[in-house]
Amino acid sequence: MGLELNKLSEQVNKMGTTLASRSADIAARLPKARATLEKITNNDPILETKIERALSLHWTGAIPTSEPVHAVFQCPKHPERANIVAADGSQVYPDRHGIAMYYLINTGSIVFRYGLDEAPVCSSHPHLFYEDHDLYPNEALIPSFLVNARRDIAELRELAQIATREVKTAPTLLMLDNGLLLYLGLQTKEYRQSDEILSEYLETLSDIESTDACIAGVIDRPRAANVLRLLRLYDIDNATFDTDEIRTLGDYSQLTDRMLFSTLKPGERSAIFVNASPQNLGKYLSLGQKIMFYYVNAGTKEQPVILRIEIPEWVANQPDQLSLTHAGIVEQARFGNGFPYVLIRSHELAVVTWTERGHLEQMVAGSMRRSGISAVISRKAQGKQWTNSAKRRYGQ
Amino acid sequence: MSNVDSKEKTASSIPIGRMLRSDTTGFTFGCLLPEPEVPLFGDFVKAPAQQGLTEIIGVIHNIVIEDDLFVRQLIAAPDLPDAYIQDQRRNRQIPIEVSVLSVGYSSGNTMIQGLPPQPPVTLDYIKRCSKNDMIAFTDRQDYLALILNSKETPVDELIVAALQRASRARPIEDRALFLIQAGKELARLLSDDLSKLDSILRRIQVNT
Repeated sequence: MGLELNKLSEQVNKMGTTLASRSADIAARLPKARATLEKITNNDPILETKIERALSLHWTGAIPTSEPVHAVFQCPKHPERANIVAADGSQVYPDRHGIAMYYLINTGSIVFRYGLDEAPVCSSHPHLFYEDHDLYPNEALIPSFLVNARRDIAELRELAQIATREVKTAPTLLMLDNGLLLYLGLQTKEYRQSDEILSEYLETLSDIESTDACIAGVIDRPRAANVLRLLRLYDIDNATFDTDEIRTLGDYSQLTDRMLFSTLKPGERSAIFVNASPQNLGKYLSLGQKIMFYYVNAGTKEQPVILRIEIPEWVANQPDQLSLTHAGIVEQARFGNGFPYVLIRSHELAVVTWTERGHLEQMVAGSMRRSGISAVISRKAQGKQWTNSAKRRYGQ
Repeated sequence: MSNVDSKEKTASSIPIGRMLRSDTTGFTFGCLLPEPEVPLFGDFVKAPAQQGLTEIIGVIHNIVIEDDLFVRQLIAAPDLPDAYIQDQRRNRQIPIEVSVLSVGYSSGNTMIQGLPPQPPVTLDYIKRCSKNDMIAFTDRQDYLALILNSKETPVDELIVAALQRASRARPIEDRALFLIQAGKELARLLSDDLSKLDSILRRIQVNT
């Protein structure tokens, strides 16, 4: 028996009503959030003291920079010539029900030479991992989040390699389809690979810095509330607040920074903030790779699209590089319905479809049989293959 | 061998696509961005079958350029720079689908006009027929009946285009005789449809 949609109709109707009610409630609370943002001034000693205390309590808000927190910046002029590069990755996780234990990481990249009317350069690089040290890094099968981390590093390395070549011809912007902070901390406490992976990631960011290319992580429909946490902190009167008070968003519960900055006009960006996450102010900062962020409207008047853009501090501190991230992303989004064209294409180049995965399985099976090894999937996987195909009901 | 002949032979030996699907009556192959000269409606092409024992001869009767949601979205974009157009045309893996009507096959040095015993297999290379291939194959006109009986092709247009290709493959002095023989065969096949016959014959005379 599959999903019987008729049994869901009442629940779906109730869900629609609830969503409408929640949306109205959120809309009613946004003006207060915007008014608070307007009130915050730079170099406010009281707020600075609060931030200092909050940081000691592992607060994950947004730290203002020299830019006024409510400032809005017009989209700068795009350089006449620039290289816009994007890389993305996809993976096939190890499957204990499959014919063999392995995993795959496929990276796709595109080099768009803005200002030259030529076809972009596209490439993809598949890499198969099947050795014991790849599959069992901690004497247990590699978990999916570690595969994801290896994929993220592969994407960044691909960008670093391309940057070395492309910076010789024009200012170069590198883009990733996610944030620049690897969220490994909680998940990998028991894994010694955590530090190794983060170090590898940060070393690659440093390699990119040394090429003179700039980099930006682009997050579509961001759910982050770092700036709202700053507003919440501003509202707290108690100077000796504790962790519980800053853990919640208070009046701004269920709001997001994206909603807060939805007043940005097409092309405009918000002020830059520092992400106050302990990871960022720990290892990232110590290795000179502190991550900052801003919001930008990459859509149109009719269809605003608020993206969160994460950049390293060294990009934020160089006006030309900062401008290139801003103008480059807005220009690319003109042809991607509010999302950078090169990121759409790099995803397309990286993605491993189910059909391609099936072909890979056949190749692996062939190779195993030629080597005299049996290649069979588990009984459970076989059963799923039988039942997951289009359902047929006979006699009805 | 003249330069022209040598150039023509090279062009015909270059694969223009790979087989997507096939049946006894025809096949469809995929290719990337079309070049100005290939593939063309009415072109004679060949595909290997029976593990190379035979080569199927067919005539291109439809060329489809697929779209997708990404392309549709770009159509509405104002001032689309050329680089984006080049990316969509040259880099994206959206094959152009070319449908071919099978009209005969070659086995060794023998050309047979009729449906092949076995269709070509997926991913086989498709090549354009050389002038010599076309001359040899169209030496007899039995394939015209196969085109006329085809249900899914624009029959009149396809016959005109195919006869033009076959005629131009021949030396100038042989073309008139070739077309007269083709016209006679068409007159026999279309004796009950004089308006269609007239339409085809007029266009062969005018265009060839």
